[in-house]
Amino acid sequence: MKQWQRIVLYVMVGYFILLLGPVAGLDLPRIVKDISQSPSLLITQLLVGLINGAIIAVIALGYTLVYGIIELINFAHGDLYMLGGFAALTVMGAFGVQDGAPFITSILPMLAALLVAAGFCAGLNVLTERYAYRPLRNAPRLAPLISAIGMSFIFQNLGLFWGGLRSFIPIMGNTAAAPKSFPDLLPRNDILEAIGIESKVDFTVKDLVVLVVAVVLMVALNLFVQRTPAGKAMRAVAQNRDAAKIVGINVDQIIVLTFLIGGALAGSAGLLVGLYNNTIVFTMGFTAGLRAFTAAVLGGIGNITGAMLGGVLIGLLSALSDQYLSSRWTDAWVFGVLVLILVFRPSGLLGENLQEKV
Amino acid sequence: MNILKLIRSSSVLGAVGALTVLLFGGWSGAVIGWLLGTGMGYMSSQTKLIANPKTGAQIGGTAGLGLGIWLLVASLLEGLLLLPLSGRPAIPFGTALLFGLAGLGLAVLSAVLMAAFQGLANPAQKQATRLTLAFVLLIFPFADQIAQTGWIATVIQIQIFAILALGLNIPVGYAGLLDLGYAAFFAIGAYTTGMLSSAHLGIEWNFWIVIWIAAAVAAIAGIILGAPTLPLRGDYLAIVTLGFGEIIPIVFRNLTEIKITEPISSLLATLLNRPELAICLVGCTEPFNLTNGETGINPIGRPSLPIVGTFGTSPFPWYYLVLLLVVFSMFMIGRLRDSRLGRAWAAIREDELAASAMGINRVSTKLLAFAMGATFSGFAGAFYAAYITAIFPSVFDFSVSVIILCMVILGGLGNMTGVLLGCIIIMAADRLYLPKLAEVLKGILNTSVLPNISSPALRDFITTSLDPIQMRLFLFGLVLVIMMIVRPEGLVPSAQRRAELHEPDPAANDSLADVRSAG
Repeated sequence: MKQWQRIVLYVMVGYFILLLGPVAGLDLPRIVKDISQSPSLLITQLLVGLINGAIIAVIALGYTLVYGIIELINFAHGDLYMLGGFAALTVMGAFGVQDGAPFITSILPMLAALLVAAGFCAGLNVLTERYAYRPLRNAPRLAPLISAIGMSFIFQNLGLFWGGLRSFIPIMGNTAAAPKSFPDLLPRNDILEAIGIESKVDFTVKDLVVLVVAVVLMVALNLFVQRTPAGKAMRAVAQNRDAAKIVGINVDQIIVLTFLIGGALAGSAGLLVGLYNNTIVFTMGFTAGLRAFTAAVLGGIGNITGAMLGGVLIGLLSALSDQYLSSRWTDAWVFGVLVLILVFRPSGLLGENLQEKV
Repeated sequence: MNILKLIRSSSVLGAVGALTVLLFGGWSGAVIGWLLGTGMGYMSSQTKLIANPKTGAQIGGTAGLGLGIWLLVASLLEGLLLLPLSGRPAIPFGTALLFGLAGLGLAVLSAVLMAAFQGLANPAQKQATRLTLAFVLLIFPFADQIAQTGWIATVIQIQIFAILALGLNIPVGYAGLLDLGYAAFFAIGAYTTGMLSSAHLGIEWNFWIVIWIAAAVAAIAGIILGAPTLPLRGDYLAIVTLGFGEIIPIVFRNLTEIKITEPISSLLATLLNRPELAICLVGCTEPFNLTNGETGINPIGRPSLPIVGTFGTSPFPWYYLVLLLVVFSMFMIGRLRDSRLGRAWAAIREDELAASAMGINRVSTKLLAFAMGATFSGFAGAFYAAYITAIFPSVFDFSVSVIILCMVILGGLGNMTGVLLGCIIIMAADRLYLPKLAEVLKGILNTSVLPNISSPALRDFITTSLDPIQMRLFLFGLVLVIMMIVRPEGLVPSAQRRAELHEPDPAANDSLADVRSAG
């Protein structure tokens, strides 16, 4: 294509976006006006996006780890995270904590919920790997993907069943399919005000706690993969499974370890999202899973730093879209980004440039 | 021994028949005996070559008898034991025996007939088999009405999904392109029909024209959505189609307030502060409502024919119309499969690079696979819209795509008989057996189990959580996982697939990630 042809093409695409964008909420003049009228709203939305993005990043790590090791899009991962939320809620119910319980007394239930949710999801993920994916390791590529879709349906139904256990877990509420309210435990004191900064933007203790936990998880994972012998073995298996086997790495063990870590991260994310949004529902895994997968692909699938970056970007995109485009179209925009990335840059932002293998 | 095989196959179909009788009762045993007996007569004669009609009839007779005994026992159990257990009055022994004997008799008769036909010389055998099948399909609505089983509405739905499954089989089974957003094309076909033949937009065209337009629009959508996926392979392709499958229902849900102004003129208008300069294109006086959002389009015009009149609440014309569509789809898809294009699809599926090296145009072959698959879902969508007379965006979500995929995989990728079988099994289980099972189970629990349980928590748990309908996603998921592990080629696989899937082929495991590691 000649230079001028390319320019004409870009201008035409831009014109069509301006022409049809407003239908899906992309009305640039209005957005500019909204932002200039109240800049603090933009910062608030960026903050919301950052925190949701951090949670998405934690889920995306599970996708990226598994894809890096066995090239499977673990479709059930989003629903695993949903089950993590249910496990955490069950623990909360067992401790009997209520909305607005003092922060000091609710630390123990929260830690217990974190451990239980992470452990439950890790165990479930390992079992899934053992019985639904490992028998298919040498099958054609689509077989494990379809199996993963099946597991996703099974998990979703499990969530529905769990939500209906009102006779044993009263915190689940009356209707199985209805969203469950998650106890609001983190205080909403504004930190900025406490340290003496006057602004319209609220940055609460709740925001801080969720953000810190997510970042700690990500840093810990990164250290684990980069610094420990097991992490080194994981990287080796990801690079070349056969060669890893030759140098004496137990590949099966490493794969189990990967699923264990991914599951634990998903469970933690389930607790975090419950604490942050105060509501969980059995269908949330599908959308969140697709967003997290988009994040992993955006960053370059198989790349841990990329998944974190992608998660934050997707979080920001959906928060800004909720505010400035139209919340009804947010999912369409996120999936649109997914399609565009896969089509135009399948290696993602941080991934290496890939060539077709002959 | 073949007789052992016969008994085994009779036990599968017999269990199905018995379950049907236990759930539905009444004359359902006779209808299911007739249907399964015909099937059994055909199947029993597949195990070995049958020399003449007489031996065929003997084999069919034994098989039919096996099935009939299942039905008879089930009829007696249902009438005398299950009915009182689930809180309904028991029927007299004589009536139950009559129901059972009717099932047994019809099962034996139809099995004998069908198996005897298999003993005929070759051309006559094929014709007789086809004629029997056609007779069963044509007569079914009347049998259903006489026996008062009330299955016809479900059978029409099964046939709609049969068209969808046959259509999805083109990209997935023939061309090897996993499409996870197939419900999008179904939605496009249905919405096209909804918009062009309802009072919503004031366009009320004839159904017989609209169904072709719907198929064409779906085909064009298949090309448009297929084009960006051309460079992708395997799981990335699947995810992009899934993305489209998610976007399309969102678009239909939200296209309710369209207002389009020409951007340059509106920018000028803002800058010069003269609003009259902005050129408005669509929805100027009030926003244009294209799809009516969550409430959907309702009512949609029904087809009409000279003698039959406008299709109404009677299921008969609908049944024959959709039967015609299924037969048409099967004929067209069979011809496509055996054409030059069909062989190109198989070549692309086996090895894309080798195929393109042999001179197959990758772009047009893949796009045609998407377009052809979408065309048939356009037919199904048009029929669905006219039959239900209302469409909502929530009908076309991801789970529908997966259910259709389930049918294709359960039956056997790339094999039309298998796909139809998968469709019948899944749809009948989902729409017919599960709801009825839930009803019967509820009756049993309420009359026989709950009064004997003292713990209120346990009683509450049993009433709220033991609902088979709530388990449907679980069952679909289980079907997918188990099929992938135990029998990835499906129940009735095409010979090619079977050979492929039981021999691990390292070349089939190419992926983007391998490429990365290889540098």
